[in-house]
Amino acid sequence: MPITLVNPMNEVAPESAAAAPRLPGLKGRTIALLDISKPGGSVFLDRLERLLKEQYGASVIREMKPTFAKPAPPDVIEKVRRADAVIEALAD
Amino acid sequence: MPGLRLLAILQTDCPTCRLITPYLNALAGGSAPVTGVSQDDEAATSDFVRQMEVRFPVERDPGSQLSKRLDVVTVPTLYVLDEHDRVIRQEPGFDKNILNEIAALLDRPAVATPHDGAPASKPGCTSRHLEPETEGTSPALNLHAPRGAEASTIELTDGEDPYEYCFRVFKDGLPVVPPTPDRVAKMLRAAGGDPRDVIARIPPCYGEATLEKIAANAVMAGCVPEMMRVLIPLVRAAADERFNAHGVQATTHFAAPLIVVNGPVRKELNFHCRQNVFSNVARSNSTLGRALQLILLNLGGARPDGIDMSALGNPGKFSFCIAENEEENPWEPLHVDAGFAREQSAISLFAAEAPHGVSEHNARTARGVLKAISYALATVWTYRACLAFEAMVVLGPEHVHTIHRDGFSKKDVRDFLFENTGVPLRCYAGEPGDGVAQRAQYKEIVIDGEPCYQKFRVSESIKIVVAGGTAGKFSAVLGSWSAGPRGSQMVTYPI
Repeated sequence: MPITLVNPMNEVAPESAAAAPRLPGLKGRTIALLDISKPGGSVFLDRLERLLKEQYGASVIREMKPTFAKPAPPDVIEKVRRADAVIEALAD
Repeated sequence: MPGLRLLAILQTDCPTCRLITPYLNALAGGSAPVTGVSQDDEAATSDFVRQMEVRFPVERDPGSQLSKRLDVVTVPTLYVLDEHDRVIRQEPGFDKNILNEIAALLDRPAVATPHDGAPASKPGCTSRHLEPETEGTSPALNLHAPRGAEASTIELTDGEDPYEYCFRVFKDGLPVVPPTPDRVAKMLRAAGGDPRDVIARIPPCYGEATLEKIAANAVMAGCVPEMMRVLIPLVRAAADERFNAHGVQATTHFAAPLIVVNGPVRKELNFHCRQNVFSNVARSNSTLGRALQLILLNLGGARPDGIDMSALGNPGKFSFCIAENEEENPWEPLHVDAGFAREQSAISLFAAEAPHGVSEHNARTARGVLKAISYALATVWTYRACLAFEAMVVLGPEHVHTIHRDGFSKKDVRDFLFENTGVPLRCYAGEPGDGVAQRAQYKEIVIDGEPCYQKFRVSESIKIVVAGGTAGKFSAVLGSWSAGPRGSQMVTYPI
């Protein structure tokens, strides 16, 4: 006789979202640079900020998560969503 | 007070509004008049009412007229109105203490307890009429609904070995007991309640831990049905925001959730607290630890070949559960430190590294034993890092005997370890590395005549547990993951 099992796995379908369309260019755009507060993130983002402003004519918003160990709090998400694109610095 | 009623301004896609709704349901039960006001359209509001099983009337607020008149800034906002509809109290966001104060105003019993898995408080979202205009809306995530879906069933093809099927499909590295409907039904009978009741949503993927899903995983782990009464509060504790399973389960660090069992349940369900306490010594320890791990994997989604990014892992991820040897503990056990009565059974969850042994057979005094332990504590995380973590010290009974004989209270033990654990300043002269850049935040102390930085932030960063066998002078130190409100905090839940 075939055996029946109760499915022990998560069956809630994940919400899916389409990726944002690629920006046609960076000039005049606002780019959010999000530091998750891992060591070294600011080094990477400082350099990107300079490149974006000097070479691409973009403006920059800098934001920082209070801790890399938890999801970004709503106020940080609220601020970075005003930008045209977000670059997030992960890891050390 | 008579004549009072409660108005709750809600948004259907606000996580805090969803979080507060079951508590408003509890307030509305019986006679307390509660009215919800939704800032969203008919379709979103009726979805919300259905998903959340709302048991109070919900009106709509077209054009946000009421919200503007009341000057609502965030949702949820609760308004207590008197019989002339004058606002006598206004409370934005979610706060358990405030909900209980409002319950008292409405002559209702308290509706929020500290150990239901929900945070003590949570800020809300911007009121709809104050939000910046955005293009389109995203669908509301179905968070905090009290009832989940029934588990599907899987028919194996005739002749297929169910153990091999479980290996192949559930992808766990050890055999599991096949979760057949009759085995799951036994677990559910022991638990009581509706199989679709959602006990928690497990980070990082927030799978629904319904009673039925918990039962199926408990079967797989080999639990006896009576273990459900421990597993239910344990699952709530694992999803408690303070424990931060979102981080613990995804980190590159070594941490794994260590369960510490306290109180009468140890004897009622045969949890082992003596020799080999960290090993494969008792069915209850092994299967409870394994059930939690399977639930975290199968429902939380942090699989060791995927979202769980631990560089080296932790053998505790198979199973990591000890009971405190309260009989050999002359002080207060761990759950009493957390504020519970000794007779209250409880489980604690601590994001721990593997145990690091302290074998100290020749120290004759409390100070001698504790000195040995302090040197193990000084290397937690890495030698020059201080403050960002905690540690659990599991004292073996022979060490406890020596320490207690010298008149040390549990607080004395903690304070001694706190005051005597440090990193010599000379260590910071060399290469850069972890802990060096943070020196300005460290506190300088003197240990045995040598200037040191104090290793731990406060004395309470060191958690003391008594466990293990009575033969042998051994203790263990377990480092934590990143600790405190920015990392993981130990949580203790009553059973």
